Amino acid sequence: MSDILRLSVPLAAWLAGFSVVYGLQGLSCSRHWPEGLAARPVLLSAWVLAVALQAALLWMLLRNPSPSPFARAVSLALALTALLAALWTLMPVAVTSVCL
Amino acid sequence: MALVLAALRRRPPAGTDDTGAERVWLWGLGLAFPAVTLVALTTYGLVVGERLLPRDAPDLVTVRAEARQWAWTFAYADAPGRTTEGVLHIPAGRPVDVEITSADVLHSFWVPRLAGKLDAIPGHVNVLRLEAFAPGRYDGVSAEFNGTGYRDHAFAVEAHDPAAWAAFLAGETP
Amino acid sequence: MTPPSETPPETSPKRPTALRLHRALEPIYASDPRFRGWFTTNNNNDIGLLFLIAAAGFFVVGGVLAMLIRAQLASPRSVFMGPDVYNQVFTMHGTVMMFLFAIPFFEAMTVLLLPGMLGSRDMAFPRLSAYGLWCYLIGATTVVASLIPGLAPDSGWFMYPPLTSTEYSPGINTDIWLLGITFIEVSAISAAVEVVVTVLRYRAAGMSLSRMPIFAWYILVVAVMILTAFPPMILGSVLLETERLLDWPFFQADRGGDALLWQHLFWLFGHPEVYIIFLPAAGMISTILPVMARTTLLGHGWVVGAAVSLAVLSFGLWVHHMFTTGIPHMGLAFFSAASTLVAVPTAVQIFAWIGTLWRGRPRLDLPMLWLLGFFATFVIGGLTGVMLAVVPFDWQAHDTHFVVAHLHYVLIGGYVFPMIAAVYYFLPIFTGRTRFFKLGEVAFWLVVPGFHVTFLAVHWAGLLGQRRRTWTYDAGQGWEIINLVASVGSFVMAIGFALVILDVAVNAAVSSRGRRNPWGAGTLEWATSMPSPSYNIASIPVVRGRYPLRDDPDLAHRIARGEGLLAWPARNRRETLVVGTARGEPLQVAVLPGNTALPFVMALATSVVFLAPLIDAYRSAGVALLAVLALALRWAWTLGSKVDEGPLDAGHGLALPSAAEVPDPPGWWGSVFLLLADVTQFGSLLFGYAFLWTVAPNWPPPSYLAPGLWGPALALTGAAALAAGPRLAARAIGRTRAPWPGLVLALGGAAALAGGAATVWAARDPTAHAYDATLWLLAGHILLHAALAAIMLLYLGARVARGYASPARIGEARIVQLWSDFAAATGLVALAAAWLPGAFA
Repeated sequence: MSDILRLSVPLAAWLAGFSVVYGLQGLSCSRHWPEGLAARPVLLSAWVLAVALQAALLWMLLRNPSPSPFARAVSLALALTALLAALWTLMPVAVTSVCL
Repeated sequence: MALVLAALRRRPPAGTDDTGAERVWLWGLGLAFPAVTLVALTTYGLVVGERLLPRDAPDLVTVRAEARQWAWTFAYADAPGRTTEGVLHIPAGRPVDVEITSADVLHSFWVPRLAGKLDAIPGHVNVLRLEAFAPGRYDGVSAEFNGTGYRDHAFAVEAHDPAAWAAFLAGETP
Repeated sequence: MTPPSETPPETSPKRPTALRLHRALEPIYASDPRFRGWFTTNNNNDIGLLFLIAAAGFFVVGGVLAMLIRAQLASPRSVFMGPDVYNQVFTMHGTVMMFLFAIPFFEAMTVLLLPGMLGSRDMAFPRLSAYGLWCYLIGATTVVASLIPGLAPDSGWFMYPPLTSTEYSPGINTDIWLLGITFIEVSAISAAVEVVVTVLRYRAAGMSLSRMPIFAWYILVVAVMILTAFPPMILGSVLLETERLLDWPFFQADRGGDALLWQHLFWLFGHPEVYIIFLPAAGMISTILPVMARTTLLGHGWVVGAAVSLAVLSFGLWVHHMFTTGIPHMGLAFFSAASTLVAVPTAVQIFAWIGTLWRGRPRLDLPMLWLLGFFATFVIGGLTGVMLAVVPFDWQAHDTHFVVAHLHYVLIGGYVFPMIAAVYYFLPIFTGRTRFFKLGEVAFWLVVPGFHVTFLAVHWAGLLGQRRRTWTYDAGQGWEIINLVASVGSFVMAIGFALVILDVAVNAAVSSRGRRNPWGAGTLEWATSMPSPSYNIASIPVVRGRYPLRDDPDLAHRIARGEGLLAWPARNRRETLVVGTARGEPLQVAVLPGNTALPFVMALATSVVFLAPLIDAYRSAGVALLAVLALALRWAWTLGSKVDEGPLDAGHGLALPSAAEVPDPPGWWGSVFLLLADVTQFGSLLFGYAFLWTVAPNWPPPSYLAPGLWGPALALTGAAALAAGPRLAARAIGRTRAPWPGLVLALGGAAALAGGAATVWAARDPTAHAYDATLWLLAGHILLHAALAAIMLLYLGARVARGYASPARIGEARIVQLWSDFAAATGLVALAAAWLPGAFA
């Protein structure tokens, strides 16, 4: 079961981070967002956090690899994919307009 | 496709080494090639998308479009109280924001020659930026399935030169 | 029933051994040969075959509807159909193809083939396979039958409200879709649970994750996707149906609802759905292509990684179906970036396949021909998909025939063509015959060119601005020739598909008997005699590589001679091996149930629960619900035993415990994955609540619910007791003491938690505002799960009283503990969410 977790957790964490940032962006354009709080710095920090989480997961996998060579290779590749996905899919927080 | 055909014709040399093949097919063609292409494409899409957004502009005109089964009603910020049915009047050569909403089910505002589509959703107001570069008549349709009258749920956009636009705002029949 | 298997064509000197083993196994696994056998069988070979024939039948229905559409569009101002009929036809075409053909068809192939591939005697929960089949057959038949009186759903297969709300769709057409499709999804969820448990636990000895066949990887990924993608859609259907039946305003803007909520829930399901359909086909390609190229799959690990990445990434795409709904550009940009990203793992797969062809020596048999058809088609579909992922392009092409053409390229090219290849490839396993008549080649050359003519033309029509779902068009817009060409092409394609079905049927019936493993494949499903016998595999082998038959050509004979594990059925019952998830080491012996009509009867009762509300027969639905409950308890009761059997002889000197005498029996694993679906459903409900709170017009509601004192106190003590009680009970059973204090504590906890939730119901009127309706649903979730936990606790008490529990037979107590924990945890979260806005207001 731990190999199954090694294979599935990093990408699942990407999905969670992606959904949270999308939710945050929705919130920042809604009636509940506090007046005067700039959205972009908050979103940027969320992006950095999401990427840091992926890097931490990758580091944990490197420290604690699977005993099976196959599961080791695939889980590392997937963790790397998740890291790149976090970098790329959340990139819009830096470049596009927030609520238009 | 060419590669598939080539693979079918080819007779492989005996005893090839897998690692080389993996490098070419998977690292090169599988990862690098699509990654580069797609980064370029997405960036282009985002830049164009940003340019189409309804930002502030000095000579901006705002109109309102309300859809219902199966008609469109248009109202004008510059001529309060004035509404038109089925024909939206705008000035040519000026940016226009269309505030789109719906009185019943989902619809979509689409004038192919002026802009992309944007949905009309009850309770929400979506803003579409468009600009007609020349005066004339542009056809529009509803582009979200909305029941039996969907096919004929169309409207038109009439873009006026400055004089005709002034006349329209003044209440004269164009 | 199962065609009487012939003697395994043995050539080895030990022939009598194999024959004797076959004769010993066959009566234990065979279904009842009488007519009633069709309704009592739960053998994967029978269930799979029925499933396959039914799904193919619904493909024909969907195809006929497609022909009606093309006939209507062949000429401008056609008087063949009016808009009311046309709307039903295109809605049903999409619905039938997606829900009644695509998903059941790969489920059928999975049920038929997966046990053989893994070296198991059957699926993990054979009765669940049968139950899923009957739910699907009854539900699908009802939905299709609604076309006859003209009551079929007519709002498009994605059913956007408010068009589907009572005000604009007063008839029962919409209810047929909502109730019928939800009913069919019960079958998809049950299939997914058992596929996950089968792949993780029911394998040959030594089949570690790295040695698992590639199709098993794909189908594992797909099953987990079904468990996490279908619940949002089921929730959406529940919301819309309660709005229609009870006037709870989830989608009505004037009372705090929002039509966009449906779109989010629908596409949270809808986009993964595309990959749920594509990945099984990709798994078939990865299985068949290397055999056709007489080599092994290039980059096996890469392909596994690509499948897993595709599965997860596909959950980050749903908003790209909503690019025109006015979501801010940054929101669209996230999904645009994610949409282009999925092209990368897709490309990895495609190039792994081409690389496999490159290094092998491909041969052009019929399955290979269809795979080439796949390549030619799918690549184009992928490219138009990338075009649509670019937001400004989508703003123009959205809801035109361009999108229609794109999705047909992806679904027909990416799913139907590989599945036809798979049917031809696996035909020897299903029928025991090799193909003799060569109608298949003719059919191929009608389908593929016909397809391309049709849908290239449809792309073109879309670019010229023809909208989808318009029932006709006027002459003079330049669309006449294009549409005529598309219609002619589509009829050629349809004739081709008819020939495929005819070819398969004729070859299954009258062609010559084939030999074992005709393609020279390396995986275990080819290690049996053809057709696959009822017990699938005569003994369970110990595998040491990814391609056991390739490594050891004599393996098939040794399996047949009973040289594997669990060979001789000394205990005279259906048994198979349970292994460790990662390394595949033998752990337990699972006892499989025999023939029974229970699944069929329970599916009948379930159908009344779902379909009686269509004719307002709520009392019948309630009675049927009680019947389902009684049958489910009966279902569980037949398992287990009153004595400890101790370690069982599994052959090769191995002594393994029965799966009934371990802490993690298959039922525990099944519960874990069923709860995964349940927690996704609960998460979707919380998402819907947060969405309405953030975005919906006409919020905040007139007042928020104040928590008060009694509600939280009841809920907290209830949840604590519900969590602690089953633990105490399990510990008592483990020490052969009486579990009653723990069970009573847990029952009291369930009642208190339910009481906490009931305070919410008492305080609000669910028809007043979407906020109130959501609170009722949250409290309803708690009441439902508290009731489930209570029923299970009572059941456990009865089992203990009758002597079904012991320190070894602790599994059932642990399953009840799992469900109680879930009820307690989600109960607290749900009530916290319900009370939070009021506590701060």
